[in-house]
Amino acid sequence: MPGVAYDSGDTPGALGSNDTAMVPYSPEIRQPVVYSIHHGLNPPIARLSISWSRGNTLRVSVLRPPSGEDSEKDEVGGKVVEVRLSNGDGENGDANWRRIAYGSVPPFALLQSRRSSVASLSKVSMGPSLYNIDWWEYVMEYSKDINSLLGSSKSLPNPVIEDPKMVLRKVEEPTALKAAWELMEIFYADKQSQPWLPERLVDWLADHDSLLSSTQPTVHSKLVDFQNEIVRLQVIEDDPKYWDVLSSALSVGWIEIVVKMLRLHGSYQLHQLGNRETENGLVETVSILISKMPRMRPEVEDGKLGECFKAKPDFIKAWEKWRAQITKLDCSAYWRQCDHRQTREGLKNMIQIMLGNTDNLCNVTCHWIELFVSHFLYVRPFTVGLESMHSLAQKCMQLKPMSSSHGLIAILLGILGENTEVVLAECSRAFGPWMVAHAIELLTTGSDEAELLLQEERDSLGGISIAELHRLVYAQVLSSHPLTWQIAPIYLTSCTKQGMALLEILLYKLPIQHNETLLKNIEICRLYELDTVSSNIMKIAGVYHWKHGRKGAGVFWLQQARDEVRLSRIAQQLFDSVGKSISDESFKQWEGLIELLGSESKATGGLDFLHKYRDFKKSLKQVYDGKTTDAARQAVESLISLMKNPSTPQRFWLPLLHDSLKLLNWPDRPLLDVSQTTLLLNKLQELSMAKLRPDFIEADLPPQSLVSVRLALAANLGRATLEE
Amino acid sequence: MPISEPPQIHRLPQSKYIDSVRWLPPLSALDRLAVIAVFDSDSDSSSVETHSFTPNSATLTPQSQWVSPSRISSLKTSQSHHKPLVAAATFSGSLHILYGDSMDPAYLQSELSVPEKESHEGPISCVDVMDGGSECVSVGEDGRVNLVSLGDSELSYRRVFDSGGLVSFTAAKWASPSEFATGGYGFSLQWWDQRKHGGAVSQFKGGWSQPSTPGIVHSIDIHPSRKHTCLAGGSLGTVFAWDLRWPQQPILLSGVGAGEATHSPCESEVWEVQYDHYAKSSNVGNVSSRILPTMICSEDGEEPIELLAEPCAINSFDIDRQYPSDVICSLEWESIVILTRP
Repeated sequence: MPGVAYDSGDTPGALGSNDTAMVPYSPEIRQPVVYSIHHGLNPPIARLSISWSRGNTLRVSVLRPPSGEDSEKDEVGGKVVEVRLSNGDGENGDANWRRIAYGSVPPFALLQSRRSSVASLSKVSMGPSLYNIDWWEYVMEYSKDINSLLGSSKSLPNPVIEDPKMVLRKVEEPTALKAAWELMEIFYADKQSQPWLPERLVDWLADHDSLLSSTQPTVHSKLVDFQNEIVRLQVIEDDPKYWDVLSSALSVGWIEIVVKMLRLHGSYQLHQLGNRETENGLVETVSILISKMPRMRPEVEDGKLGECFKAKPDFIKAWEKWRAQITKLDCSAYWRQCDHRQTREGLKNMIQIMLGNTDNLCNVTCHWIELFVSHFLYVRPFTVGLESMHSLAQKCMQLKPMSSSHGLIAILLGILGENTEVVLAECSRAFGPWMVAHAIELLTTGSDEAELLLQEERDSLGGISIAELHRLVYAQVLSSHPLTWQIAPIYLTSCTKQGMALLEILLYKLPIQHNETLLKNIEICRLYELDTVSSNIMKIAGVYHWKHGRKGAGVFWLQQARDEVRLSRIAQQLFDSVGKSISDESFKQWEGLIELLGSESKATGGLDFLHKYRDFKKSLKQVYDGKTTDAARQAVESLISLMKNPSTPQRFWLPLLHDSLKLLNWPDRPLLDVSQTTLLLNKLQELSMAKLRPDFIEADLPPQSLVSVRLALAANLGRATLEE
Repeated sequence: MPISEPPQIHRLPQSKYIDSVRWLPPLSALDRLAVIAVFDSDSDSSSVETHSFTPNSATLTPQSQWVSPSRISSLKTSQSHHKPLVAAATFSGSLHILYGDSMDPAYLQSELSVPEKESHEGPISCVDVMDGGSECVSVGEDGRVNLVSLGDSELSYRRVFDSGGLVSFTAAKWASPSEFATGGYGFSLQWWDQRKHGGAVSQFKGGWSQPSTPGIVHSIDIHPSRKHTCLAGGSLGTVFAWDLRWPQQPILLSGVGAGEATHSPCESEVWEVQYDHYAKSSNVGNVSSRILPTMICSEDGEEPIELLAEPCAINSFDIDRQYPSDVICSLEWESIVILTRP
């Protein structure tokens, strides 16, 4: 099966050495999860059958061998057990995934409709440059909409009285999903921020560093540890940890935290200010220099420090000046006057960091990505291009090897290595089909090569592209859940090759028991102009209702589907019950169904007979109630029209005539003329012939009824002839 | 409709499917309670929940829960002897009456029920409680119309009609203590009078919709001041009024067959219709001037005149009788919306 490596996240241990696998598969990344199944059957077990059930549940059928003579009689032949698989991702529950799935429909649909309108426009007027400029802006809007679904990284409201010792801001727990999305947005979609890419990575790490703490220590975890200890420290500047944490936070550019922590230095306390003037001056100078750090970015958020420069020349000028100031401070004579050893060494270390001393940077950072980011801040602020970033990342990894890999890091490495397949595979492994299906929009915007790779139709994938494959996979996931199937069509219809066929299969497989689901299903058919599917679904529903005794509903749906064949089949069954019941009080029951059948213009499959039969019975009843000759004439009209109508079943002929005996023997004058009487006589003749056939159904009438009808008709013929 | 200010919209994701929403009639001016029929797909269980609504912060706080044996197909609320009352009918055919505590109305304490396969064979499609809460009518796909008397300790039902499946009913609504209306396939409506035996008193057939295909009535409403007029909504965006005094001339308010004179707000299923006590009738022009203002919700996810437009279906809504400016809606995508109109 081609491309299976993409789904390897879901099936650990499957097809490890597949030649068609697009990424090398490393089985040690995920521990296989073992689920024990309690089926309670005695051995031997002959067969196991495994299939998907609803959602994330596997249905395992355990079967014993067919019972032989020696097996006990009360032994169960087999059992079906459902195994609920936990979704490997701890941070997102099913409900949250569904919330994300619902929320991503509008941005996805908007982007698709824009794509098709842009495509049709570019056909008319070739304007590739215009197309490119506009397009990434659309993708960026899409990316922002999706990003907002994945949780907010906004800080919680600040307490009214700020705790000076609270160096870490309280923020909502970041999610790896959001972190991964933002990473791709930074590199692929946000073309506007390309010149400030290093600074965006700095921000990204500041928001998400805590996520990396799960696999190994980070600057963030250091800070958290120190935050817990801070209350117990009497003289903060005596603690080597204080200086260590300061340098670490500085190295990754969290300068607000650094400045805030420096202000906790004991020399700021009023009663100490006198004797530690020089020391305090040095601390303050360093903190001012830090807060004036030039940054190559358009702006900083409120409450953040640093001086921003949009243009490169301005930034270089400022950066050189800033470094000159730091060097000057480094050579200052005041250091000798500073008695406090820890302060002196700590500040000197920070100065080395700001001057970009790579040894110092390496010492104070924990994770290689922190070292990586520190290089952008202090060593090579103009690093551009993925290639140079990638080689820098390689260097940092050599200096700080990872004990275990984090999904985010794998994605970042894929991006830096310009390896679209790796990015996709890692997205799939860490975050599943939703991520891949939606991230492809970002990936294709990233570069022409990526677009080509993802949109190219491949024979190995059955003629579809990688992009379509992943969309189909995601649509399958949506289809398998009773609450999300309705959004699957949006993804399926964006798949040009196989989407519509799968959509038809999905619609056919939906349950039709409840009107709500059925109507929602039909509505989707209407939306996508799937008339055949819609009428087939109606037929299925019609037969379902019919079989469950809801005759009216069955007839309704079969009529909607214009299914003449089935209607005439069920008509025969209906007539069986008509003959017995329609004549008496239960007439009311039929009223509704007959109304439903409506006029002759609609597909009725012979059911319009019921309509005429009802009319005939009505007027006949009036005759028996002692109404006038007019009513009798009307009854005769109905009778003749019934007998003329080919859809009137043969077995009704005799009962109809028998019911009409009073009309035939009308006392004053004959109600039927010669031709009418002849018609009825012919029908009677036909009936006698039909009696010889084996499938003839004898009407439930007194034995002499045929004779009396024939007699009455003959008498009437005579009277009518005389009259004429 | 010229609305100077747009309504305030509060979206409240629930992480469970909402089958139906209703306001619970308040016992005191301070109570703002909503009743929600919930389907949890993870555990495959259904329940009726009461939530208290805080208008200032626009939040729903869960108060109590009653676990239903089957998925809820119809939910109505009323009041009886100073106790709030919830009637819930299920897809398996059982009917449950829950009473709120007179001290703590949010607490659904007692339950009376008619078990499945007794009064109805198969799903009950609609239940409606008479004002005063002494009786309710239940109709089903099986073609039965039952009247259920709510006793002190038990429910007793009486079959008014049984079509034996020849006709299926999909909607029901009380008009007066003795009369009610039902709706079904083919846009049919029936008028019933308890004092007259032997079937419906009056029938309306959807023949007017020729040549376009007829649909199903999903919801009926009857205005207390105009009891002779039945408002019905159903398939193909159809909303029509049936006046008993002119039973063969329905007034088509919206729908595919409606022609150009009528404004057609949607083409898909109209899941619920209710008279809107809040809107001014003067705002509605031409044909509909004989009909009071109405509110609908549909599969398109839109409510005319555009109070709320959602990317997914709005499956049910309820206008608060006490505070008619507030509307609660349930959305297909597992969430509730509360609209507060200016």
